[in-house]
Amino acid sequence: MAECDAEWELCKENIQPLRQGRSVSALHQALCQQQEGNHTALNQQKQAFESELRLYDGDDPLDVWVRYIKWTKQTYPQGGKESNLSVLLERAVTRFTADKKYHNDVRYVELWIEFAEGCSDPMDVYRYMQAQGIGTMQAALYIAWSEEYEKRGNIKMADGVFQDGVKCGAEPVEKLHAFHRALQARACRQMMSSITDQQRDDDEDDDGDEGAAEPQRASLAELKAKGKKKAVVPINRVKASVGYARGLQFKQPLGPRQNSRLVIFDENKASETEPQEPRFEIWTAPPTARAKENEQKPEKWTNVKMPLKSRSGLSVAVPPPKPSFQPFVEEDVQPPAVTPCKINPAVNSVLSSRKPCRPEQTPLKMLQERMQLQTQEDGKSREQSMYCRELLYSGASEFCFEELRAERYRQKHAHRLLSKPEQTHAN
Amino acid sequence: MSLFGTNTGFGSGGTGVFGSTTTDSHNPMKDVEVTSPPDDSISCLAFSPPTMPGNFLIGGSWANDVRCWEVQDNGQTVPKAQQMHTGPVLDVCWSDDGSKVFTASCDKTAKMWDLNSNQTIQIAQHEGPIRTIHWIKAPNYSCVMTGSWDKTLKFWDTRSPNPMMSLQMPERCYCADVVYPMAVVATAERGLIVYQLENQPSEFRRIESPLKHQHRCVAIFKDKQSKPTGFALGSIEGRVAIHYINPPNPAKDNFTFKCHRSNGTNTATPQDIYAVNAISFHPVHGTLATVGSDGRFSFWDKDARTKLKTSEQLDQPITACCFNNNGNIFAYASSYDWSKVQSQYTYFSFVCWLWYSIYYSQLGYFID
Repeated sequence: MAECDAEWELCKENIQPLRQGRSVSALHQALCQQQEGNHTALNQQKQAFESELRLYDGDDPLDVWVRYIKWTKQTYPQGGKESNLSVLLERAVTRFTADKKYHNDVRYVELWIEFAEGCSDPMDVYRYMQAQGIGTMQAALYIAWSEEYEKRGNIKMADGVFQDGVKCGAEPVEKLHAFHRALQARACRQMMSSITDQQRDDDEDDDGDEGAAEPQRASLAELKAKGKKKAVVPINRVKASVGYARGLQFKQPLGPRQNSRLVIFDENKASETEPQEPRFEIWTAPPTARAKENEQKPEKWTNVKMPLKSRSGLSVAVPPPKPSFQPFVEEDVQPPAVTPCKINPAVNSVLSSRKPCRPEQTPLKMLQERMQLQTQEDGKSREQSMYCRELLYSGASEFCFEELRAERYRQKHAHRLLSKPEQTHAN
Repeated sequence: MSLFGTNTGFGSGGTGVFGSTTTDSHNPMKDVEVTSPPDDSISCLAFSPPTMPGNFLIGGSWANDVRCWEVQDNGQTVPKAQQMHTGPVLDVCWSDDGSKVFTASCDKTAKMWDLNSNQTIQIAQHEGPIRTIHWIKAPNYSCVMTGSWDKTLKFWDTRSPNPMMSLQMPERCYCADVVYPMAVVATAERGLIVYQLENQPSEFRRIESPLKHQHRCVAIFKDKQSKPTGFALGSIEGRVAIHYINPPNPAKDNFTFKCHRSNGTNTATPQDIYAVNAISFHPVHGTLATVGSDGRFSFWDKDARTKLKTSEQLDQPITACCFNNNGNIFAYASSYDWSKVQSQYTYFSFVCWLWYSIYYSQLGYFID
């Protein structure tokens, strides 16, 4: 046990924290096993889970996935590629997207949230979930979503999410309210501290010697004018933060410099305005999780075709038509200096005028396109695999026919042994 | 009376070169049916090496047994002997002198079967089912190579319970082939490793898979000087890749071809794609035979890149095949390969067919 303690000390910063905490014994065991390089027991356990995934025929297949993922997290505390955790999560969530009965199962929703946290853009995942109706009745979704907004500093959307949750009647309600209140408290504290910072700055600008002596100042009190000038600085030169201190309601305008980029949050009009949030698209596929730069392998560019030299010149900037008259050219005038062009512009269809850029290809869009293509291909596909594809590729890694069959044989054999204990002695 | 005791195997007595007149889909090629087949799917077949007179066929099955038949020149098959494992047998091979047979099983052991004394002893132990077994005969050593689903490749001197060497693989071993001094192993997750066996076995190269789907079977081919020069790799989706180890022009010399697909002449209906279950090379002509889940076998010429022949469709998938040592006989096994998993199966026929050179020559492609 002492070596395991030492092991813990050496690598504790590599251990990924789990929200529900780690079992100490499992952690020790995992670290010891890694230390010894004991792969066989791990392999066997993994194989057992993989077999169970494929041969399970009960009512609750999600249970196998949940146990497998839990075991993976406990056994591979550092995470990383060996654990296959991201693959497992992705497979688990996509496996049951069509299964309505799991949509508001708390275990399934938590898998989704974990998956989202591993994605490059969790917001996309949460929006997808909402569009598909996954987890809309679970408080966990709204809590995680608003946390994400809060991380990005978007408190108003974070608040909006909680309100959505309450509207949908998410369970458990008390938890939702508690987190909502906590969010508001945090927001208030944040704004108060930013106000005092602001005011300290302003103090230093205005009344240099007064600033240090009086850090706290009533925010709405009139500023005492110093010196002969009796000009009073207007109170509302402090920006929107004042509004926050009054409980997240901005009723007053921002100030003389109306900044058109900031939209005022008015809760009465909250349902209409959706600033900076794109419309809900029809999501055919959930977003991808893995970091694309690590996983993508170089592939043949099968679908990319070089644009042919179009005879019709549709994609090419059509050279301007020759004028019908002869432009007058003075004899002594030099023709306008043309940049020397080796390529004859009439046949040059490769270089065309700059096209407007396409909207940026996010990994999400790429996956969606790929899945759309796949479904299209499958629909009109001219090929059909004559084997049990889903069974082979069900878990994190693949199986072959013999492995499936051997597992089935083993189960039958074990069952037979159990049911006839007295006969084994004779054998 | 069958030497293997009572069994409900099909065809206890079917002999004669042109086989029995049963239903067409069962034996459409009218080949010789082997007597007393095993009681469950046949996983592997192996013919005796040229050092032994006569032709002996060994077949391992999912009924945990290994059977030996003598194939006589008049076409008759005579069951000779049988041994058992405690789990399904996944692979068999002969020693180079033809006196021993090695068998690998799901019960995580491999056994050596001495045919003269009809005794077996265990020679290998793994942590998981052993998927492949091959005999290696090198000038300075000889051993048995076993590949297992526990991701290791072990080499055994049959006299010692501990392996001579154990190599770690990235994934579970799915298929392998050995032609000294080269060995190829194809693993799960489309892994492909080449080993060189001179002096002692060591990893030679890891190759990026030429196929997009799960690897299913592999067979090494030789060049005109009888040196191993490359391999054929079959996948689970009707495709075989021909890959040379050191070709002068890899882009042009290596290629893949589609096989074991239903006739795609009618573009309205989708083409069915079947798994390639085994590949075998003719020892003399160098042509290759593939057998698939669709219940057909095909012969191909990889140098001319043409298909030579495809058989009629059998009523069951073909799970194993092999040529005898002079290429006159081609044996193939028709049984269920578990491609569409069923928890209960009703009717099986587990038979091996022998395809004689008579048919081969009638098609008129002797390449010399």
